[in-house]
Amino acid sequence: MVRFENVGMRYAAGPEVLRDVSFVLAQGSFTFLTGLSGAGKTTLLKLISLAEPPSRGLITLFGEELATARRRDLPALRRRIGVVFQDFRLLSHLSVYDNVALPLRLAGKREQDYARDVRELLSWVGLGERMNARPATLSGGEQQRVAIARAVVARPDLLIADEPTGNVDPEMGARLIRLFAELNRLGTTVLIATHDRMLVEATRGREMRLVEGRVVEMHKARSA
Amino acid sequence: MRENGFSARSIMPRDKGAAPLDFVIAVMALLAALALGASMVAARAAEGWSSGLSDRLTVQVLPPETGDVQAGLDAEVRAALAVLNATPGLAQVRVLSEREIAQLVEPWIGNAGVVPGIPLPRMIDVLVSPGESVDVPGLQERLKLAAPHAAVDDHSRWLARLAGLADTVRYAAYGILLLIAGATAAVVMLATRAGLDAHHEMVALLHQMGARAGFIARNIEWHYFLSALLAALAGAVAAALLFVGLGSLEIFGVEAVPFLPPLALRLSELIWLAAVPVAIAAIAWVTARLSVLSVVRDFY
Repeated sequence: MVRFENVGMRYAAGPEVLRDVSFVLAQGSFTFLTGLSGAGKTTLLKLISLAEPPSRGLITLFGEELATARRRDLPALRRRIGVVFQDFRLLSHLSVYDNVALPLRLAGKREQDYARDVRELLSWVGLGERMNARPATLSGGEQQRVAIARAVVARPDLLIADEPTGNVDPEMGARLIRLFAELNRLGTTVLIATHDRMLVEATRGREMRLVEGRVVEMHKARSA
Repeated sequence: MRENGFSARSIMPRDKGAAPLDFVIAVMALLAALALGASMVAARAAEGWSSGLSDRLTVQVLPPETGDVQAGLDAEVRAALAVLNATPGLAQVRVLSEREIAQLVEPWIGNAGVVPGIPLPRMIDVLVSPGESVDVPGLQERLKLAAPHAAVDDHSRWLARLAGLADTVRYAAYGILLLIAGATAAVVMLATRAGLDAHHEMVALLHQMGARAGFIARNIEWHYFLSALLAALAGAVAAALLFVGLGSLEIFGVEAVPFLPPLALRLSELIWLAAVPVAIAAIAWVTARLSVLSVVRDFY
């Protein structure tokens, strides 16, 4: 599903923030990406989500080697990835419902085909009563749940989340992780960047630990 | 996978500060439409001035210095009329009455009437048939033989000056039109780019979610096309109403500006004002498209 081979990344003429990173995320795997602030987690997520190209090395995504992929093929690859941004990136002029429906609209789906799914998902994340609200009227935790709903609504092949439970209470955090686990059970490969050790310890999956731009550990977070 | 083109209004927020930008575009459209209308008025006036005099000749018969002045004048006028009536290509030959001549000289000698005993020259107004031309030197020669004191004035000296003035007015109007069109284009481009800067994050998000550059551009360019079209339409309609208003003044006998040609535009000329909002909307559309594509090209 995702293969990194000796990937390095630097911004402009700055120092390398990722160095010789190599790993494989198998299809249907559930992985936590951990490490201290500045370890390179967000940069790694940017490379996997096709937000930035690597400075060196090879990345293979969905069987496609990115170095040789045509530029016009990248949007279709991006649509197979759901991303939960740390800063949510909700469109402030759209309602909660329209924000969540955006990936489906971009995929060319008709509203009558997805309206029920969007409403059910919003109810699942506890926002069934706030569908017509604008993001600015929501709390940080509510915005985060909208961002998560938007990332998973199209049932992506790969889900990437940057601190997805950082702004929600433990109960809702557990509920969101169950949502990710359910998606994972249906075949979605999940990669979650987090500082939350309790979350990592309490969830089945693997842990990939980054230290100063290098992958230093790749092991099971908790035995099944 | 096909990308669905949902409504631009649903994806594009109403810009902060869009109302002042719309106002600026409307004002620029008003100025551009006024300049376009004024250039049409100037072109029409220049054509009118030229055609109004170029189809006319004036024959002046001076009083003889000796003998019976009045009888001599009458004889030479009759002889000149005979020559003119025999000249092909003339639609009308008319001797101006003494009253008309007195009115012509009134600015110089006042309205107290001509001094008795001092005869005034006789004037013959000649209208050339439309599409015909007259051999003025030849006519002058024939007149000299029949009436030695007759002289033809084809207004060529005035016409040349008038044509020069008309050309100056016309080209000045075109120059102003070009300047305003350029300024309008620049303002529309700046407004569009400023709006896009405000939506940079939104464009980045749509790109990240897998929207193609063409899809993003289509949604955004449509938004700017529509906004600019509506604002510019308001400006052009205001200009059209102004020209129609000037026409109404003339209908009621009020001259907007004395000595100048009618400032009202004809219907066929008013229709040309519609080109202004279309051009402005097209500028906004092209600018938005190029700007979005340029922004998206910078993304991975």
